[in-house]
Amino acid sequence: MRKKTLAVTAVIVCIMAALIIGIIFTAPEEEGADISDTMQDAVLHENDKVDFLGLRVNPGFISALIVSGVLIIFAICVRVFAIPRFKLKPGKFQLFIETVVSFFDNIAATNSPHRNNFLGAYIFAAGVYIFVGTLFELIGLQWMSLAGESVTLGAPLADINAAIALGFLSYFVIMSGGIAANGLRGVGRTLKDFSLPISMSFRLFGALLSGMLVTELVYHYIALSFVLPVLVAVLFTLLHALIQTYVLVMLTSLFYGEVSEPRVVKDKKSKKAAVRAKVRPTTEVH
Amino acid sequence: MPLNIDWQQILLHLFNFCILALVLYFLLYKPVKKFMAKRTAYYDEQAKSAENKLKEAEALKSEYSARLTAADEEIDKRRAEALHETAEYREKRLNEAEAEAEALIEKAKRDASRERKKIIDGAGKEIADMVGAAAEKIVLGSTDAAFESFLNAADKEKDEENEE
Repeated sequence: MRKKTLAVTAVIVCIMAALIIGIIFTAPEEEGADISDTMQDAVLHENDKVDFLGLRVNPGFISALIVSGVLIIFAICVRVFAIPRFKLKPGKFQLFIETVVSFFDNIAATNSPHRNNFLGAYIFAAGVYIFVGTLFELIGLQWMSLAGESVTLGAPLADINAAIALGFLSYFVIMSGGIAANGLRGVGRTLKDFSLPISMSFRLFGALLSGMLVTELVYHYIALSFVLPVLVAVLFTLLHALIQTYVLVMLTSLFYGEVSEPRVVKDKKSKKAAVRAKVRPTTEVH
Repeated sequence: MPLNIDWQQILLHLFNFCILALVLYFLLYKPVKKFMAKRTAYYDEQAKSAENKLKEAEALKSEYSARLTAADEEIDKRRAEALHETAEYREKRLNEAEAEAEALIEKAKRDASRERKKIIDGAGKEIADMVGAAAEKIVLGSTDAAFESFLNAADKEKDEENEE
């Protein structure tokens, strides 16, 4: 038993040593691929535009399309094959689907008790999109850029345009809740938080981009390319996926609940009585 | 635009997300919610039905226990009535028996006294006959024998009276 363990360990050590030697000797000479350029490309996508039906778009949009396609196919499969077979006593898959739907539905109902049907549907879609889109980064699909170079497709929301789109859409959803519940007063309540769309957009963009930048940094140096990427890439991505989904969903629900809260009309008589009750003790003292 | 912000791409992302949101709503969110609502309604109905049945059972139980209590009371009442009737009947029968016995005794006494009177009347006649016979015998001769037969007849009559 001990001999066997020793043999396995020796084989693993030999393979690792061979790999390290191979990496060192086969490393290409870096031709001006500066880290600052790499990071600038990751943020701005100026040199890695891709073609989409004749349009010059960022790789993030291709990621968004792929993520949407995967989710739509999954939804169709679930609708056609799984939902008609749902049982009163759920199986594992049914439980998973029901848990996800209930999770977003409960968040909507808890944070916006007065009006939450539309909010539930929106945060379900947004949450699933952010989570799956962030995990998509782990696959590392390659795409051809217009410059003829291979580009790794990142998370859709690591593209600032996608983050702005989702941030502003969330803001308009919040505003729609305000209008539906309180009319013009709801618009006023929403406009009061005018910085919300910008903060939401840049929070999403910054959070997802930071994960990508850390991964880029780690991969830039060969010495850091062992074991560490497993922690950095997988754990950071998973953590980002969960946290960003939760943050956007919670913020949208909270603000939606706040602006859609019905106005409490105070009775003038009771108001006057309350003022009198406040005044009376002081007059009695005098 | 700074930071490579592109309105066209923002709109493309919005369009893409709106389609995704619609598809997810109609294919996943709505049917699953509908199913869950249906299941909740089913279990609510089951719970309500069970509650109603429990209430009915409780009502039946209380009704039957009330009936049992009423039946016990009725049985006790009937028993008391029966005992009372029996006691009355016994008293009545006892009184009747006593009255009958008294009547019988009265009748017996009346019969006995009538019989006695009858016997006494009969004995007087016999005595008279015997006196006549004795007188006849005396007259005819044998005084001792006549006197003896007189005494025997008187003893005989006395014994008969004692026997009665």
